[in-house]
Amino acid sequence: MISVENLHKRFGEVRAVDGVSFNAQDGAVTGLLGPNGAGKTTTLRMLYTLMRPDQGDIIVDGINAVADPQGARFALGVLPDVSGLYPRLTAREHIEYFGQLQGIIGSELRTRTDQLLTMLDMTEIADRRVAGFSHGERTKTALARAIVHNPRNVLLDEPTNGLDVMSTRAVREIVRRLKNEGHTVLFSSHVMQEVSALCDTIVVIARGRIVASGSPDDLRRQTGHDDLEDAFVTLSGLQPDGAAEARSASVKASPS
Amino acid sequence: MRVGRLAQALVVCRKELKDWARDRRSIFTVLISSLLAPIIVGVMFTQLARQQRDVEDVTIPVVGGSNAPALMTWLRQQAGVTIVDGPAYPEEAVRTRQDDVVIVIADDFANDFTASRPAQVRIVSDSSNNDTRAKVQRIRALFQRYSTEIGSLRLIARGVSPVIASPLQLEDVEVSSAQQRAARLLGFIPLFIMISAFTGAMQISTDSTAGERERGSIEALLVNPAPRGAIATGKWIAGSLTGMLSVVVSGALLFALFQYIPLEDLGIRFRLGTPELIGTLATVLPLCPLIVGIQIYVATFAKSFKEAQSYLSFLMMVQMIPGMMATMNQTAMRAAWLYYVPWIGQQSLLNDVLGNKPISPLTFVVVGVVNLALAVVAVRATAGLLVRERIIFGR
Repeated sequence: MISVENLHKRFGEVRAVDGVSFNAQDGAVTGLLGPNGAGKTTTLRMLYTLMRPDQGDIIVDGINAVADPQGARFALGVLPDVSGLYPRLTAREHIEYFGQLQGIIGSELRTRTDQLLTMLDMTEIADRRVAGFSHGERTKTALARAIVHNPRNVLLDEPTNGLDVMSTRAVREIVRRLKNEGHTVLFSSHVMQEVSALCDTIVVIARGRIVASGSPDDLRRQTGHDDLEDAFVTLSGLQPDGAAEARSASVKASPS
Repeated sequence: MRVGRLAQALVVCRKELKDWARDRRSIFTVLISSLLAPIIVGVMFTQLARQQRDVEDVTIPVVGGSNAPALMTWLRQQAGVTIVDGPAYPEEAVRTRQDDVVIVIADDFANDFTASRPAQVRIVSDSSNNDTRAKVQRIRALFQRYSTEIGSLRLIARGVSPVIASPLQLEDVEVSSAQQRAARLLGFIPLFIMISAFTGAMQISTDSTAGERERGSIEALLVNPAPRGAIATGKWIAGSLTGMLSVVVSGALLFALFQYIPLEDLGIRFRLGTPELIGTLATVLPLCPLIVGIQIYVATFAKSFKEAQSYLSFLMMVQMIPGMMATMNQTAMRAAWLYYVPWIGQQSLLNDVLGNKPISPLTFVVVGVVNLALAVVAVRATAGLLVRERIIFGR
């Protein structure tokens, strides 16, 4: 479970994140939806403790991630925005390296690695060096190493960006599976379909602020659009005439 | 927690070494950097030894030798002298460097000689050719000696003491000998060994820092709960090990090489035996962690592998300056405290080791501890960099 309270981050004159608050519950998928440059990645970076907020609190499973980033990291599994691999290591070695860094060793590590490789349908490429991997295979490797320690909270920054259909499906499968196992899953996307297909709660972010949040149905109701994409466009203020409407519709709904 | 940190550092270290060992470029770097010193030293010594032998075993091309059979016989009796027939056009042959020197005996040599007139012997040489100067001088001296001997005999035959004809006694003392040049060359060995430490470690120092940033793998790595200190330490240990490997290979090759270099031919009392090898390693190996500590700190500022390499090349030149100064001007670098200054200290220690001066083991220990302490400072500073958002996200 992750609670974010009044998060602020500015880069020079730019207020990248300007008072963001939301909750991501256990056993639910929360989607951070917004156009490019809205502040999704900056928000996530603060959540996964590599960026320090100027103001605000982040509580991960009861641990204050701002005050104790080290402690919060144990409870987090992260697929960052840029998730580079080591070209000379195999997929299996990537998973094992991160497992060892998390303190998992011996047969436990082997079992967990095999389990992840099977789950992501990677057994055939497990012992190949990642240098020749496709984009999908890379993302799956990065995802596997991110959740090797079976973290309670999983943060994914645009996990399906640029993936083909099969890889997208594999990622969605993992997300659903994590949710069913009771994990907190928070992921960002700028693709409406992606979010609506997976999320229990959608948090719409634009220009560093939360403009709406709630279930997909809530959002439809708030905006008066049946189509989620229209709702998204209205909410994120992408159309000038919809901007005022979006602001007024900004309701902080807690997820059901 | 302490043990946990060390375990995590070793996990990072193992991964970096595995990654390194699979990179062809890194193996190449270590090979080149450790081969550099032995090759340069080997080639130059062999060259010097050959020049020295050239002087001792001299082959003299002579034109018109039949004009002076007695002189030829005398020359053949001298140690290391071989007489061969000279070329048809002596001056042309020397100018084109076909021959280093050619002796031309004049046709009326026999007539002049028997009549006790100065008989002409021409020495054709090229004074602009430095390599042959020693040889020419030796040949000139040979003829000078023959001339003096015959002159003495003639004086004695006339009842005059030959000493009267030698008012001066000249003695040459050559300071720029092959020995001197060889000794100067030996002074560069410490520098070569330290360069191999530097270049050997460079691959991991750049790949595990700037490389990690360039590939975009640093974010994922730092999301791990492993403390930054443990991560930096792991990379530092891995880098230090490769630097040390490079030094050991380089030292061992030099050691092997010196079993074959004919130093005795040069008249040099220099030995690179087991004690010298151990002394060299005891001096340079503790320097490796410091070199790598600084390399990793500097390379972390770089956004890409190439950028890091240019930083480190510059760093190497900066670090080499005191070493160069110590090599060039050994007397100025004798102050006792300089032993504890990294790089200069190693240079002085190595000079002592190779010069067979007695060194207290305590000096090695203190120098090692000073280096290690400074290295730890560098690693801590690197760990501090791994918290900066500009470093983690700046691409």
